[in-house]
Amino acid sequence: MIEIRGLSKAYRGQDGSQVQALADVDLTVRDNEFLTVLGPSGCGKTTMLKMIAGLIPWDEGSIAIDGVEVDGPGPERAMVFQNFALLPWATVLDNVAFGLEMRGVGKAERHERARELVTTVGLAGFETKRPGELSGGMQQRVGLARALAVQPKVLLMDEPFGAVDEQTRRLLQEELLAIWEHNRVTVVFITHSMEEAVLLGDRVVLMSARPGQISEIVDVPLERPRSSDVGGLERSSEYSEITAHLWERLREMHAEHGRVGGIAS
Amino acid sequence: MSAALAPSPSLRTRVERLSGAQASALSLAIGAVLWEIVGRVAQVPFFPPLSEVLVRLGDMVVTGQIVGNLAESLGNLVIGFGVSLTIGLVLGTAMGRYRRVNAMFGIYVYALLTAPSLVFAPIFFSILGSGRGSIVGVVVMYSTFIMIITTASAVENVSPGLVEMGRSYGAGEWRLLTRVILPAAAPSIFTGIRLGVGRAVTGMINGEMFIAVVGLGRIVTQAGKRFDGAGVLAILLVIIVVAVAAVALTQLVDRRITSWVPQTSKDAA
Repeated sequence: MIEIRGLSKAYRGQDGSQVQALADVDLTVRDNEFLTVLGPSGCGKTTMLKMIAGLIPWDEGSIAIDGVEVDGPGPERAMVFQNFALLPWATVLDNVAFGLEMRGVGKAERHERARELVTTVGLAGFETKRPGELSGGMQQRVGLARALAVQPKVLLMDEPFGAVDEQTRRLLQEELLAIWEHNRVTVVFITHSMEEAVLLGDRVVLMSARPGQISEIVDVPLERPRSSDVGGLERSSEYSEITAHLWERLREMHAEHGRVGGIAS
Repeated sequence: MSAALAPSPSLRTRVERLSGAQASALSLAIGAVLWEIVGRVAQVPFFPPLSEVLVRLGDMVVTGQIVGNLAESLGNLVIGFGVSLTIGLVLGTAMGRYRRVNAMFGIYVYALLTAPSLVFAPIFFSILGSGRGSIVGVVVMYSTFIMIITTASAVENVSPGLVEMGRSYGAGEWRLLTRVILPAAAPSIFTGIRLGVGRAVTGMINGEMFIAVVGLGRIVTQAGKRFDGAGVLAILLVIIVVAVAAVALTQLVDRRITSWVPQTSKDAA
């Protein structure tokens, strides 16, 4: 369980004014829940995720994972990055094994584990390739395998499919669902796509900008497993209702802020 | 028959078809011919034609003048460059990674980079005498600072996303440096090392010309004093070979370590 209480963060903008990135955010992520976080740019969703990851400090409040205060990165959490963040000089296998290597796991053992995960994400046969030889979708599979390799309890995903084309994105969503259905961990998934938030999440956290706050938490009662029939889900009335509601709320937020900036962050 | 009918390729297409090695060889051949012609026409004592220089070089090799001095110079070069490389990598990495270290040393490094390095020769001479120590000192003054600065900027410019990724997987500072930052910075660091090698060779010769009683720099000075133009240029040829070989060796190491960089982006750089 991730408990976020009164989380606040302000930083100085370039013009010297104070920007409230997060203001008094309270959020509880349940064990083995797939939580998606949706919001316009500048709502602090990535900031919040990186705080959970222990990568950036905050001003006030607390984050606890299973009752333990977050104080830097920890072995129970693993992150998947928007721009993949792969080591360009390392092979697919070594990239997947990176987290294990940082934990001091021996070469034979970490390669064996990495090999399994390379297969899980559908990259068998590409073990010795370097990231530069792979498509964006394949690179993010490596990023996902690297995160899963350390067997995290919490998977933190920062707009992981934002940098790939629409068709690849769809395939990756289905595969992520299939992997998660097979191996349920707690997932916090940042996205700027309403469709993606609803397709993947048990709940959608809607955030608003300036200051970054939680505006609403929407339950997604769509049946699981969802991986086998994503197309069918999208034609269901529940799916349409939820996305319509989310769009309405996002539209209000954009109207409030004079339609500056897009929802893409 | 068709071969006879085909139009002969223009000079331009012939040049475009040359491989890199062929183009270099062609350029060297043209340079050699020009040197020979200018040398013969000009008839000045300090610019003899290439053929005369090569004959003189042959004499010097046979009499043993080159080999002993070359070995001496290479010793100075290797030790001096080794010291420079160590300082350059360690201090450069620290400056690129830690703001405070940068603030402490940056001012000295930039001052010494722009200062004419040879002014330190008399200082080394007065402290260390005319032996190897002084020459090594001059080589270090010539080649260290450029490597510090390029290493610092290479380390500073490593993608923050990669560093963040490393931290998120629990990498401590040492692993972050050795497994993420330095490999990522390696291609840019090697650019600095190449520049450092070139400057180290210059430093070696200049230092020897000023200080040493042995070495290539010493014998080139002696030849100059004897008005032995062919001798000066013969030694210069040896020095150029040393420099080119040193840079080629660096490139060899560079290619092995940074083979992951796509060749196209290397060409563009």
